[in-house]
Amino acid sequence: MSLCPGLMTGVIGLAMIVLALGSNMISSKKPAGSASGVPAADANGGGCVELDRHFFTWGRRKQLTEKNGKTSKVMTLREAVRKYVTDGCSVTFGGFIGRDCVAAVHEIIRQGIKDLTVIDDSKTDMMDLLVGAGCVKRWEGAYLGYGAIGLAPNIRRSVEKGVPLKIELEDWSNNGISMRFLAGAMNLPFMAIRSMLGTDIVKYNPRIKVIEDPYEGRPIALVPAARPDVAIIHVQRADAMGNAQVWGFNGNDENKARAAKHTIITCEEIVSTDEIRRQGNLTLIPFYCVDAVVQVPFGCHPQSCYGYYAYDVLFCSDYHEAAKNRDKFLKWLDRYVLSAEDHMDYCAKVGWDRLQKLMRLERHFNRIPG
Amino acid sequence: MQEKKYRASELMAVMTAKEFRDWEIAFVGIGIPLVAGMLAKRFHAPNLNIVYESGCIGPLKYRVDFNVGDSSAADGALCLTSEWRVFSDMQAGYYDVGVLGAAQVDKYGNLNTTVITGDQDYYTPKVRLPGSGGGNDIGSSIGRVVVMLRLERHRFVEKVDYLTTPGFLDGSPGAREKAGLVGSGPAAVVTNKAVFRFDPDTYEMYLHTIYPGVTVEEVKSLVGWDLKVADNLKVAPEPTPEELAALRAVDPTNLIMGGAEARKSLAGIDEYIELTIKNSGK
Repeated sequence: MSLCPGLMTGVIGLAMIVLALGSNMISSKKPAGSASGVPAADANGGGCVELDRHFFTWGRRKQLTEKNGKTSKVMTLREAVRKYVTDGCSVTFGGFIGRDCVAAVHEIIRQGIKDLTVIDDSKTDMMDLLVGAGCVKRWEGAYLGYGAIGLAPNIRRSVEKGVPLKIELEDWSNNGISMRFLAGAMNLPFMAIRSMLGTDIVKYNPRIKVIEDPYEGRPIALVPAARPDVAIIHVQRADAMGNAQVWGFNGNDENKARAAKHTIITCEEIVSTDEIRRQGNLTLIPFYCVDAVVQVPFGCHPQSCYGYYAYDVLFCSDYHEAAKNRDKFLKWLDRYVLSAEDHMDYCAKVGWDRLQKLMRLERHFNRIPG
Repeated sequence: MQEKKYRASELMAVMTAKEFRDWEIAFVGIGIPLVAGMLAKRFHAPNLNIVYESGCIGPLKYRVDFNVGDSSAADGALCLTSEWRVFSDMQAGYYDVGVLGAAQVDKYGNLNTTVITGDQDYYTPKVRLPGSGGGNDIGSSIGRVVVMLRLERHRFVEKVDYLTTPGFLDGSPGAREKAGLVGSGPAAVVTNKAVFRFDPDTYEMYLHTIYPGVTVEEVKSLVGWDLKVADNLKVAPEPTPEELAALRAVDPTNLIMGGAEARKSLAGIDEYIELTIKNSGK
């Protein structure tokens, strides 16, 4: 480890290290803790783990030749979740209450994964489901509500009543979380931000450090890098290598994919690499950030997917009404998630006819150029 | 007094719309703030550009959004980019006005969207609210902030249970600047009964405009501190038939303005899709 900074002279140096060390040596490193110079606060369960792996970005990304030598990272959703999402791991989800990876969340619930730490900006349905199903131990984020429809019923039950479990909450602002992912993606320990100053967010969140700006002397907030174990991101289309193309807004997805140890891409369509090359500027996440590619049509329902299908506001209204009552929520969960074999089965339960209608509505406004 | 032809929430949306100026760049929250922004675009501010934290800049507003990341937020946008990018643009001073909702506001315009503690605390509150979302960022850095909430005694409090979004903090001179904040803070609080503004010297909220049929005493009784009243108190004009028609066309399914009740009067997805497309202008 101590050898490496001296060798960090550029791309050639990096390539040499990868070649010289090989994947085994890097993957055998133990968590470095404070030795890496990153604040010890990262070790408090906040999803910032195994810092040396992140410090040596090329080593984390890892076994690069092994991974990118694969011509295909395509697998099923069940395989991808089983392989990368484990009890107690930290995870972030792509999208921004739109293009959410709802299908992957259903699969996490079906596999009964527990004690997740979720690091994210803003979430509605997905977090309400995960918390109601008892999968989450801790949340570090900015917004857990239900959009224009109201408050999130399962979040309230968890925080106020401890049902089914009381989740730990760590409050940030959306830009605070954005800067955490930006720092994680840039392999920097923290980022500076002019938000959250003077408020109770700072008072109750000791990981936000307010310092005097060493250059201009004014107060500035620092937020630590977010480095979740897994990022799961739904996109419109990807190729088998993992080049992920996005239409519509990007949220923080480019940084989430880069900051995470492993990234699962779910997509509406898998296309050829030649097709990706035709419009390379649409590739938000390049292949080297990606571990798994899963085709999941309608994978965002009831959320929207730009160019594919619109938000199903009535389905969400009905869910919201049901979720206010614990028993009715459990019935809903059983009906749509637990008793569904997979996402195609979920789609059949929702109704293919209904999904086609949402597609028609979206395509009245937005079409993805073929 | 004869029956009103409009709901208080509709006048609230119309009064908020008047806070936008043409050619401004606005960060608006989902719900009635967005409806107000869309209304402004159809009247006095056709060149108003709306920005969403999901990364959408300047969409054509054909239909309402229920979430900041609905595909509708990107309809015909001028620029589709990243969340951190639009927040950075805001921090760099590019955006003029933000409209925020809140559960509580205090006399210095500080907002709470995190917890209602009741007789409990932050960790086990009486009501857990969504949290900051982008609210704190907007309140920290945008040019000026318009706050939108219902005028109720438990919302207009001397001190918020949790200070999520900074107004003028403790109201001391230069408090925002000393804290390191770059935006200029709250400019107005628009409610269902009145509009409030802030004294430039004391930073304290005062009653600026009341709505037809509302009395000063009624407003004062709903505010948790000794409210000051403008010397030249104004009375808001009633919304015009054109404004009301536009408002109802912006939200044709009434799911934003009417909430959960409106859901019951909507037959199903076919009616929802038909109304949305028919009123979109596209």
